[in-house]
Amino acid sequence: MAPPPPSPPSPPSSTPTYNIAMVSDFFFPQPGGVESHIYQLSTKLMDRGHKVIIITHSYEDRTGVRYLTNGLKVYYVPFMVLYRSATFPSVFSFFPVFRNIVLREKIDIVHGHASLSSLCHEAILHARTMGLRTVFTDHSLFGFADAASIMTNKLLKFTLSDVDHVICVSHTCKENTVLRASLDPLMVSVIPNAVVAENFKPPSNPAETSRGHAFGQPAPPARQLGPHDTITIVVISRLFYNKGTDLLTAAIPRILENHPNTRFIIAGSGPKAIDLEQMIEQNVLQDRVEMLGPIRHEEVRDVMVRGHIYLHPSLTEAFGTVIVEAASCGLYVVCTQVGGIPEVLPSHMTVFAKPEEEDLVAATGKAIAALRANKVRTELFHEQVKSMYSWTNVALRTERVYNGISGAISDAEFYGYDASLNAANWSATRGRSGVQSFALIDRLKRYYGCGIWAGKLFCLCVIIDYLIFLCLEILFPRDKIDTCRDWPRKTLNEEKEPGVR
Amino acid sequence: MLTTPPHLYIRRPSPTTAEFTVTTCPPLTIPLRLALLALLTLRITVVLSVIIALYAQFASPPPPPPPNRTTTTTILSHLSTASLLDALLALQTSPPGQSITRLASALPASVLALACAGLLYAGLLLRLHTTESVLVLRGLGIQIQTSSHTAGAGGSARFIPTAKIQDVLINEAFKGFEVRYYLVVVVEGEEDVVVVFPRLLPGRRIVEAVWRGVRGCLYEPGEGGRKDGGVER
Repeated sequence: MAPPPPSPPSPPSSTPTYNIAMVSDFFFPQPGGVESHIYQLSTKLMDRGHKVIIITHSYEDRTGVRYLTNGLKVYYVPFMVLYRSATFPSVFSFFPVFRNIVLREKIDIVHGHASLSSLCHEAILHARTMGLRTVFTDHSLFGFADAASIMTNKLLKFTLSDVDHVICVSHTCKENTVLRASLDPLMVSVIPNAVVAENFKPPSNPAETSRGHAFGQPAPPARQLGPHDTITIVVISRLFYNKGTDLLTAAIPRILENHPNTRFIIAGSGPKAIDLEQMIEQNVLQDRVEMLGPIRHEEVRDVMVRGHIYLHPSLTEAFGTVIVEAASCGLYVVCTQVGGIPEVLPSHMTVFAKPEEEDLVAATGKAIAALRANKVRTELFHEQVKSMYSWTNVALRTERVYNGISGAISDAEFYGYDASLNAANWSATRGRSGVQSFALIDRLKRYYGCGIWAGKLFCLCVIIDYLIFLCLEILFPRDKIDTCRDWPRKTLNEEKEPGVR
Repeated sequence: MLTTPPHLYIRRPSPTTAEFTVTTCPPLTIPLRLALLALLTLRITVVLSVIIALYAQFASPPPPPPPNRTTTTTILSHLSTASLLDALLALQTSPPGQSITRLASALPASVLALACAGLLYAGLLLRLHTTESVLVLRGLGIQIQTSSHTAGAGGSARFIPTAKIQDVLINEAFKGFEVRYYLVVVVEGEEDVVVVFPRLLPGRRIVEAVWRGVRGCLYEPGEGGRKDGGVER
């Protein structure tokens, strides 16, 4: 008798680990907020012992399967690119490849990102057809009135009719998403973005670096600002209408007029750059307004530390990672009170303004006055931001969502109430264990409620998708698909993560 | 029954030589041999029927057989064109031949030509099994062989000397609706890598076995398969 083969080593922690596929149209090499969110979240989830792969579409020079340095596997699926790296909605053509990837990687949870990514919507639809758990993260706010928004909202409603859980980056974003997709607010969680605080350190003074940075060390000395020192106001944003560039164009001459020892640094590019340049020409402000043009994300910190105030005139913003980055660099933040921005930073770091020229000028004036009076301890901001925002914390909270939808933690714990006691809250959307049922008829019921015509159309799509799934099971049987070797998993070590709150 | 999923044979004639063959041909057992023989007969029949059909359609009207031909037959005269034509005519006038003739005359000429071309390709040229192999000779290099789709053509072979081999590795790529594993040889000074087993693209188990075997055979065991040591030597 041969001894039984040793069983594969199981992770020492009691928490279950998952195989997670992040799906989005937006990923590196393209730069952007969603891209870095996906990367950071995946990295931290892998640190917690999960297996994470990323599925995105191919870029010009990047097709196929790639590994990033930490073992993060990225599938760049070849597709036709429609516009600004959003793929053509090829609803069903993605299914065979998607199924193959999901089976070979033994995926349990499909996590889609960004409501403008059609790849993500398709993946969620197919994943539900295949009987997988799905999570969707919304990164943006949308209107309700114009034609494009209505279309996007309808599409969102389609996908989110049958998703296990939704994550939003701010409470405003949650409100917006719940309204747009008619969701049960209980199935929407808020998990904010985070910043890598190490990448956004304030300018270091030599005395401090020589002393080293130890716990319990007295706070860094305050930066004293004389009454005639120049105050630099930094603006880093893509120069689009929704980022409030028009507001900025109107406000800059008035701010500079009211406050003699101030100057502006503006980084970023976009269609509104020409307006800014015209304003500079007209008011002859070349020596007080510096336009840097487009900069890379790595350079953002170097630009930020040149200033004292960060001005963020955006008209709509789901979260506004950039103001967290600015605060982390030790800048006093002046921003418009729109979208999710008021939730992001504590009030002592920010001066809020209504999104109007008058108010923005006044708020900036207030910020300049406060800095001149040395009333703001900006040098403390970095440590405070560092303790508020960390990706490890984001990963921890996301993991809780995964536990909730896969039934590892009970309903009462996950949703904060006991579903069995609240029989009135039972609906077609929620099955026995608080997670959504996979039965085709239940799924159809959910889709049918989407609208008079849309409901029927969506049902048709779902039925076709299901038929394609059955065909694929026959054409490409599961046992013929090679399973992948896993990258060596990390084991979770709680002692090593003192920063987790 | 006649083919199997790709499977691997390993031959090691000497410690420094190894041949890895991936083929869809199952082991030659008696029933398989019989089946292959039956298949051969079927192919011959198909080809003959095609010839009859073509002859009946395009060489018509068939001349009436000469009533009384003095036949002094030798073996050589059997091989003459006239006697071959006679044999063909005899076949055509036989009952199965006549039914083929009727079928051929019922079809339009273009359809018939296409059908005949297809059947001839299947009967004469198509190869049933695909065999691909890689031969590793330590100190010399790697030879990659692939059988061709059709009989007659010899297939292709490519020899890569050891000095040119930068690395042998397994990669993944999108192929059709799938993601497949494949074994590649990175050749120095070439833009593209050379894929081993390009037609069969066997599964992960086979590819990994071959990868281990190739690296173990190509480089000295002491070097642990390090690519630098293997290439410099």
